[in-house]
Amino acid sequence: MKIKGYYGVFLDINLTAGKIEKIPVSENLIVNYLGGRGFGAKILYDNLKPGTDPYGEDNLLMFMTGPLSGFPVPSASRLTVITKSPHTSPVKKKYPHSSTLSYSSVGGFFAPEIKFAGYDGIIIRGKSPYPVYLYIKNDKVEIRDARKFWGMGTNEFDKKIKEEFDDKKFQVIYIGPSGENLVEYSSVLHTASRAAGRGGVGAVMGSKKLKAIAVRGTKMPPVSNHKDFVELLEKHRKIFKSSGQTLNWRLNGTAGALVSSSRRGSQAVKNYREGTFKEIDKIGAEAARKKYWVKNYACYTCMLACKKSGVITDGPYAGISHDGPEYETGTMLGANLLVSDLAGLLKEIFDADDYGVDAISIGNTIGFLMEAYEKGLIDIKFLDGIDLIWGNVDAILKMMKKIVHRDGVGELASHGVKFLSEKIGKGSSEFAIHVKGHELAAWNVHVSPRTGISYATSNRGACHLNGGSKRSQDRGALLDSLGICRFAFFGYRNDGIRNFINAITGIGYTEADFLKVGERIFNTEKMFNVREGFDIKDDVLPERFFKEPLSYGAGKGKVLTKEGFYRKLLHNYYIERGWDPKTSIPTKSKLKELEIS
Amino acid sequence: MEELKQEKRKTISRKKFIENVAIGGALFLFKGVGMVSLSFGKDGSYSMIIVEYEKCAGCRTCETVCSASNHPIRIAGKEYPGLGNPYLANIKVYSYNPDTFVPNVCQFCTDSPCVDACPSPINKKTGKKALSKDTVLGNIVYDPTVCMHCGNCARACKEKSAGVIIFDEVNRRPTGMCNLCGGDPQCVKYCPYGALHFVKGKIDKRRFYKMKPDKIAEILAKEWYKGKGGKVQ
Repeated sequence: MKIKGYYGVFLDINLTAGKIEKIPVSENLIVNYLGGRGFGAKILYDNLKPGTDPYGEDNLLMFMTGPLSGFPVPSASRLTVITKSPHTSPVKKKYPHSSTLSYSSVGGFFAPEIKFAGYDGIIIRGKSPYPVYLYIKNDKVEIRDARKFWGMGTNEFDKKIKEEFDDKKFQVIYIGPSGENLVEYSSVLHTASRAAGRGGVGAVMGSKKLKAIAVRGTKMPPVSNHKDFVELLEKHRKIFKSSGQTLNWRLNGTAGALVSSSRRGSQAVKNYREGTFKEIDKIGAEAARKKYWVKNYACYTCMLACKKSGVITDGPYAGISHDGPEYETGTMLGANLLVSDLAGLLKEIFDADDYGVDAISIGNTIGFLMEAYEKGLIDIKFLDGIDLIWGNVDAILKMMKKIVHRDGVGELASHGVKFLSEKIGKGSSEFAIHVKGHELAAWNVHVSPRTGISYATSNRGACHLNGGSKRSQDRGALLDSLGICRFAFFGYRNDGIRNFINAITGIGYTEADFLKVGERIFNTEKMFNVREGFDIKDDVLPERFFKEPLSYGAGKGKVLTKEGFYRKLLHNYYIERGWDPKTSIPTKSKLKELEIS
Repeated sequence: MEELKQEKRKTISRKKFIENVAIGGALFLFKGVGMVSLSFGKDGSYSMIIVEYEKCAGCRTCETVCSASNHPIRIAGKEYPGLGNPYLANIKVYSYNPDTFVPNVCQFCTDSPCVDACPSPINKKTGKKALSKDTVLGNIVYDPTVCMHCGNCARACKEKSAGVIIFDEVNRRPTGMCNLCGGDPQCVKYCPYGALHFVKGKIDKRRFYKMKPDKIAEILAKEWYKGKGGKVQ
């Protein structure tokens, strides 16, 4: 291959046929889509028939690296898991299985190890008749029996699977009971505490009866301009070393935002009814550091170490060691449910990860049920006797268990808030906080219409990482394709990243070309969704944000207006995107410009 | 903000401390490593890498810089650090659940079981076996010209020390011996978390000396992740 930094090889596994193949990666795909999320979008768009059943044999589940993966570029640890989502749906279904694609990213050590093993990504197709895991050591690839691991929580599995190998350096990615049971918003876990959490990637893995992938490698592909590469490494390590932001990440991780976001009124509180949690200090970073945190830990060659592991030292859950709270987990299973008991919150987070369920969606779903219960739209019988009142940790833990086992009310809740609100009716859709069936994350909308744009227009359904403008969205899609962590962007800016990509690949992107890749990825994803029947009717925020102003805190009185949001902000966004503002569908000329057919 | 300043201060003061220690013999305490007594060999021939486990975040930067430094690439007659393939590193970080990270590096054993186990003939030019102790820095030096490719060194390291030396079956040679990068260990220099220290002197007693990563992790996890009665940091 002329392009460096890649092998030009995907590992392609058909679990139905038990067939293991190596397939070439075209230079065209690399130049136009670069990796990760981009590869996934293009492959899904080209290979999936519209209306494909996400749980069917034809759905592809992909684990993609980027051009930075495996190189010791600070914070280039991200893996993207891409598939057709089992969890999203349009207002009007064009096919029985209409849904968006989904991409979910996870840090740690898995993406680098795929690269070390000699692959640019792994594509899983088909379905195994019984539980299996995938064993990859360089060229040696085997589909192995995983029946003895089926049903095992991720924390135990993380320890047990290591005993299978004589080499302690295997990296493993896996699902828990939630994914096995096809809970729609199941996650894929790595190191028992890192999750590709969103969009139900874990459920698709479960539908393929694939418990885990274990990988170990010893190789690295050469880079195009070695001299530039080592100079850039030196330069950016220095930038990270001397930056105050680096220390901030180490000190608080994302948990620092628990308090600051709450003060701004931008937090999901009480099922997004409020933006400020009065008791946030009890579950914030400072409290966690004082009471439970043990150490900072980092992903592959990352200088930030935003992850915090800790141990619960008191109360009924004493002895449980896990990470968190982070901003998302701490908000969705904490502030959003009015949980102020930090030990209880940590236990909830531990359980969510152990079950392998998305903490964001399950927190959002339980918040919805709490509100419906409080308003008397459902009774305790509906909840199978669980007194699901705000802040009740015990009830939350019980409900989580029911959901991941799809038992009783848990079966209904395992499909998320859109499904629940349709089931319950009685106007509950106004506080079913989702877009396209995908639950919103921990950033509330009232005080920030731009956050609303991020949620309304993201291609995997509501996504806080999407960005509220064309530019930030295109840049996000680009970053997600390179293997770099978004938290580390401050150490690179656009130029630093592009310089690295050019030194590694030799492609020679100009800034305009480079950003164009991001735009191309975003539009390819959009076209996948358009083909499934999504249009402007699906770029809609829950009514709550237009009807119920925040009642206290810094954002008191704040609420969106439909005029301002839909007719100005969103309309202008479509125009800027080169999409038809009446349908939200990309125009022919835009698609031609981006070479999407 | 106050904590942020403290975080910064901690890093700086620790660095100063190590420098001071390195200048003169002293009795000092590394968190988690325990009391360490330090004295100089007459020829300054005792150097080593000390791991402060509490600070290790498990990022494996040390592996990549070790590999890059010891496997350089030549371009147009000039030498550059290699790509940093961690497989080729002499220091290896092992990760455990609950989150405990153990960088495993040559223990600079005072009795050198690997050298003792080496049955190779003496290289007439150097007067040394395939494995020997460097007279200046005290690290293990490998001489492939007299190596018998038997793997005894790796077995000895595994049995009597931390199991750092791995016998590479493909190239039929021992790997993993730390050469201290000629006196400027890159792992220490680049560790983003200040978890590795280059100490010149002789350390008589230290905690975890010659212990295997699994065992170290087991002990640390018990101390750090105590369900009751507080924690280390």
